[in-house]
Amino acid sequence: MSATSWLGEQQRRCQQAILDGDPLPGLFADEDCGNGGFGIYLQAYRARLSAALRDNYPVLLRALGDDAFAALANAYIASKPSRFRSIRWFGDALSDFLASSAEHLVHPSLVDLARMDWATRAAFDAADGEPLTVGDLAGLRAADWPQLRFRLLPSLQMLRLDWQVEPIWKALDADPLASSSEPPHEPHLLLVWRPQLECHWRSAAGLEADVLEALAKGATFAACCELIAESGEAEPAVTAAGFLQRWIADGLLARE
Amino acid sequence: MHEPVCGFGIGLRSEHYRDFIATPQRVDWLELISENYLVAGGKPIHHLDRIRRDYPMVMHGVSLSIGGSDPLDRTYLQQLRDLTERIQPAWVSDHLCWTGTSSLNLHDLLPLPYTEACLRHLEPRVQQVQEFLGRPLVLENVSSYVRFRADEMSEWEFIAELVRRTGCELLLDVNNVYVSSVNHGFVAQSFIDAMPAAAVRQIHLAGHEDHGAYLIDTHDQPVCDAVWDLYAYTIGRLGPVATMIERDDDIPPLESLLAELDRARRVSSTAHGDTRCAA
Repeated sequence: MSATSWLGEQQRRCQQAILDGDPLPGLFADEDCGNGGFGIYLQAYRARLSAALRDNYPVLLRALGDDAFAALANAYIASKPSRFRSIRWFGDALSDFLASSAEHLVHPSLVDLARMDWATRAAFDAADGEPLTVGDLAGLRAADWPQLRFRLLPSLQMLRLDWQVEPIWKALDADPLASSSEPPHEPHLLLVWRPQLECHWRSAAGLEADVLEALAKGATFAACCELIAESGEAEPAVTAAGFLQRWIADGLLARE
Repeated sequence: MHEPVCGFGIGLRSEHYRDFIATPQRVDWLELISENYLVAGGKPIHHLDRIRRDYPMVMHGVSLSIGGSDPLDRTYLQQLRDLTERIQPAWVSDHLCWTGTSSLNLHDLLPLPYTEACLRHLEPRVQQVQEFLGRPLVLENVSSYVRFRADEMSEWEFIAELVRRTGCELLLDVNNVYVSSVNHGFVAQSFIDAMPAAAVRQIHLAGHEDHGAYLIDTHDQPVCDAVWDLYAYTIGRLGPVATMIERDDDIPPLESLLAELDRARRVSSTAHGDTRCAA
């Protein structure tokens, strides 16, 4: 047996024992002395991953409370062991896991709350981008506009949410004990982005949401205007200009 | 090029970004956790670049898994090399451990069996990393709570042999030596005595939890007196070595860590006099 095969076998047995919570893998001297030992690794593994989930889902934690969140975290850790080099990314599938888990899903809107947490975390250390300014558009010729493709800021996360969870997310983010009532069922688009160092978010609905999603797929300005026209808007160019103004003011668009 | 690093430092933590940006602090250098900055942008990178302008830095990783049985992760190594190009650290360290196998990561610093087979496994991996990064790899001894039945030698014999075979350097964590010595019942000074002095690039000092019969390496409290005593012994044996206070949890105000660092300065000064960097 090669050195690597032998070591691999030792490590697979040790890892399986940690994943299974087995305190006696039969690999260690004095492992059954009940004196710290291998049990420390079993405990530390779950505590560390649980802490990572608490960091990545601070508002979901507040919405569920410590005990319910711990139960969710334990189930997730057992179901989705980390494949990430950095623990920063652990928990990427928690909202899907929650959606499929009747036991932990007290209300379906919690899935959207979790998705908003993760998007905020993703925008926090996403790639930087310089926001487009009105001045950047000043030099454009009229003939350039139809084929223009506006770029969205690299940190922009666009999420289709089913529930209007933003007020609850905002209240719990500010105050762990904030009370909340059931959010309305109202499908819309959530935007989370970071123009400079601080993360911003807001909701977008209807036509604005459709046009933003078209932009994200690379639509030209002319295609965006067509989309607006198809929606029955009387003056598509004016509506498009209004959207553009707001996106620039928000810092949603990126300079080339 | 990076500056020479010696003297006394602390681990850079986000809680202290403002302190370092606001006013000069009495640290000679800072250690950053590499993984915290292997991200695309935002505040972590922004603050790191800003603080790097004022302080020399060293990089310390937690997920190289040099002793792991999976192949080395080339993507991670590339990210690490990119960060070294950005930060120009005086050296790059990680832990003599494994963190997971079969593509999983347990996010812990797990001990290795101290065997000839393990040394044969490590030797080409350390060489590959050193060649890829273009510099010696600095490896830290970990705290441990178990010993493999398969062990054929002591941890200190294992480390000294790895240094001899690979030319790697050492980050000697004095707290980890102390924690393991209590947990496994060996004499901590024997570990220190076996360290090849010329290879020891850096020392970590940290706090641990005392559970009576065993200790847990938690990095969430001040350095205890027994570890200070072992530090005095260590630098008495090794000579002046770049030393830092490592705190990862219950992060106190910066001033509190600087007070601990002053104690390290006093201990070192008692042993060796003023040990400022020679240019």
